[in-house]
Amino acid sequence: MNIRCARPSDLMNMQHCNLLCLPENYQMKYYFYHGLSWPQLSYVAEDEKGHIVGYVLAKMEEDGEDNRHGHITSLAVKRSHRRLGLAQKLMNQASLAMVECFQAKYVSLHVRKSNRAALNLYTNSLGFKILEIEPKYYADGEDAYSMMRDLSSFSADSKPESQASDNLEIKSDSAVISQC
Amino acid sequence: MPPNNPLPPKENALFKRILRCYEHKQYKNGLKFAKQILSNPKFAEHGETLAMKGLTLNCLGRKDEAYEYVRRGLRNDLKSPVCWHVYGLLQRSDKKYDEAIKCYRNALKWEKENIQILRDLSLLQIQMRDLEGYKDTRYQLFMLRPTQRASWIGFAMSYHLLGDYEMANSILDAFRTNQMKGPYDYEHSELLLYQNMVLAESGQFDRALSHLHKFQTQILDKLSVKETSGEYYLKLKRFKEAEAVYEDLLRRNPENVMYYQKLIEAKQLSDPDEKVAFFEVYKKEYPKAIAPRRLQLSETGAPAAFARLVDEYLRHGLHKGIPPLFVDIRSLYTDKVKAETIENLVLQYIENLSKSGTFSADPGEVKQPASALLWAYYYAAQHFDYKKDTNRALKYIDAAIEHTPTLIELFIVKGRIFKHAGDPISAYQWLEEAQAMDTADRYVNSKCARYMLRAGHVQRAEEMCAKFTREGVPATENLNEMQCMWFQTEAATAYQRAQLWGEALKKAHEVDRHFSEIMEDQFDFHSYCMRKMTLRSYVGLLRLEDVLRAHPFYFRCARAAIQVYLRLDACPLQDVPQTQEPDTDDLPTYLPLKFVILLTGRPVYEILVKVETHRERWRGSNITTGTASAPRRTTPPPASVCF
Repeated sequence: MNIRCARPSDLMNMQHCNLLCLPENYQMKYYFYHGLSWPQLSYVAEDEKGHIVGYVLAKMEEDGEDNRHGHITSLAVKRSHRRLGLAQKLMNQASLAMVECFQAKYVSLHVRKSNRAALNLYTNSLGFKILEIEPKYYADGEDAYSMMRDLSSFSADSKPESQASDNLEIKSDSAVISQC
Repeated sequence: MPPNNPLPPKENALFKRILRCYEHKQYKNGLKFAKQILSNPKFAEHGETLAMKGLTLNCLGRKDEAYEYVRRGLRNDLKSPVCWHVYGLLQRSDKKYDEAIKCYRNALKWEKENIQILRDLSLLQIQMRDLEGYKDTRYQLFMLRPTQRASWIGFAMSYHLLGDYEMANSILDAFRTNQMKGPYDYEHSELLLYQNMVLAESGQFDRALSHLHKFQTQILDKLSVKETSGEYYLKLKRFKEAEAVYEDLLRRNPENVMYYQKLIEAKQLSDPDEKVAFFEVYKKEYPKAIAPRRLQLSETGAPAAFARLVDEYLRHGLHKGIPPLFVDIRSLYTDKVKAETIENLVLQYIENLSKSGTFSADPGEVKQPASALLWAYYYAAQHFDYKKDTNRALKYIDAAIEHTPTLIELFIVKGRIFKHAGDPISAYQWLEEAQAMDTADRYVNSKCARYMLRAGHVQRAEEMCAKFTREGVPATENLNEMQCMWFQTEAATAYQRAQLWGEALKKAHEVDRHFSEIMEDQFDFHSYCMRKMTLRSYVGLLRLEDVLRAHPFYFRCARAAIQVYLRLDACPLQDVPQTQEPDTDDLPTYLPLKFVILLTGRPVYEILVKVETHRERWRGSNITTGTASAPRRTTPPPASVCF
């Protein structure tokens, strides 16, 4: 498994991975929009054949200078590649880029209330906090937790593997699903 | 630019309002003002007003009238740049880009320096990859608006895309020194990296490297700085410096396989033992990283050393219960000795784990959790499935299911074993079982649907997918809207196997349309990326779109479509009685020949040419695509025509 920053040529394969794994889908143009607005923020995990087995699609929310923060539009790891810690590694790489390139203070995301596995990953492994519940956030009427993670540890020392993630062991089934 | 038939002040004011309404999308109002001008008999045939009326109608979806009015306007005022521009915009909205370019050129004949027309022209030229034309247009825009940022960027880019790196670099240099007044923000950072890309593509790595060094404090994208400088050091054979860069990159991301490969290159390691020792160092350095441990296994050739390392790797995976253990190391199986070593180890684990709960017979070994045996069974099942030993694969997967009947992964693997054994029916039934155990997981749902399609159950697959598609619309419609190509391609081949040619082609053409849409998608980014300055990624997009239809998704579906067209060409439907099997004895001899051409794996474009010609034939025939006009059959097709 290889983890690297996504290139334009990865975006179609990210869409494919998304369609296999998640209920919230987007047309290619939305992937292009991410890849061409914030090329540093999206990451992929690929197998030896170069097939995408996981990805994080991320963006910046640019509402005001002092509220600069990243947002995770979509994060998925194929069920066949769970428990390798890929989601966590993808998230940490994207978060570091948010801080370096865009001075993000924090990163936000939404997760389905019923998605225990993802919630567990975000709270226990990645240090996200629940901000609020957004009622009926998803198209099917399900509520979302709106979550955020402070990124100041990334800006103090830009080495996430040695610092920010050292204490972050994958403790459980890191089934990962989140949507914007 | 006086039009042929100038309007008096009152009408001219109305005309300006039509333009404003068009820009603000107030089309109904625009039509009102047009009517006010045209209802005056003196101006009833006023060319530019007629043209604008047509353009406005087009935005309201009244295409036929739109063309009528625009053409009439143009006929009345052939020297009006407005009329030509409008005709160009109309053609552009219909994606007739070549025609639109001609119109813009005519418009420019009458008004050489119209910025808006030049900009629109440049967008079409880059979309159509008329790079020479693009360069000329960007040059004119640059001369007309030398203070605008986009003028410089577009001008430089036009040279870059033509491979004139020196010129592109000089323009960027001049722009940077004269126009970029700070602050050193993200856009500035991206511009510097774009310039660096231009230098690197010119092959002058030393120059690119010093450029990078000079500006690195102004560049925010630290990862790009490191990755590209590492690349340059290697190209320049400055290995010590390359080494330091890749060491640094690994600290940042120890799961990047390329960094290890480059570091090996920098350290100039070629001896296998040296490489094994190399990975040993990084295993210790990054104990949580998978990459160095896994890469070491690939590099280790000596059987004894491999056995020791893979033993360690397998035990770790089985102890922790990592489901992808097999897919992770499957590629090692190309080496028969390695595969055998793994097999012996896994069988030994199973024996010992079932007897004493330990991996080895060593009485001092710590007992493993009960799940270790389960994961060993799971591994063994996939191992023997890979070796096409269906009986043993089934034996182990059944043992695993008996051990833990609630683990979804086991049922997925059991389904896959049946699939590989050539029993798609049992395969999908096991997937159905898996799916029922976690209906909230779309991955299992998708797998199940795919297996259903392989078994020929299109309808059932659609129903399965519908659990995750938007409510209120048919699943196929939502999947099409979301450009879900895997489903459509699998459905196309399922229909093809069922000899439902029309349905198969309908699905294949849906995929083809997605690719056209994705080609279209780039249009907005031509101007967007110049504003955002994300020019490296933009060039990446252009290069992707240049070869878009070489994507495996396209290939797969084009192949299915071509096979169907060839089949229909060989046995046209009107000759086939609805109730009978096609007369396979009468298949012309050239069919197998064409078939052979297909199977020899010619490049995609050759096949695409075939698709095109056959599509033409298809249009010329009486059969309409996508309807149920193909004869439906319930009996399976004879193997000889089922290609």
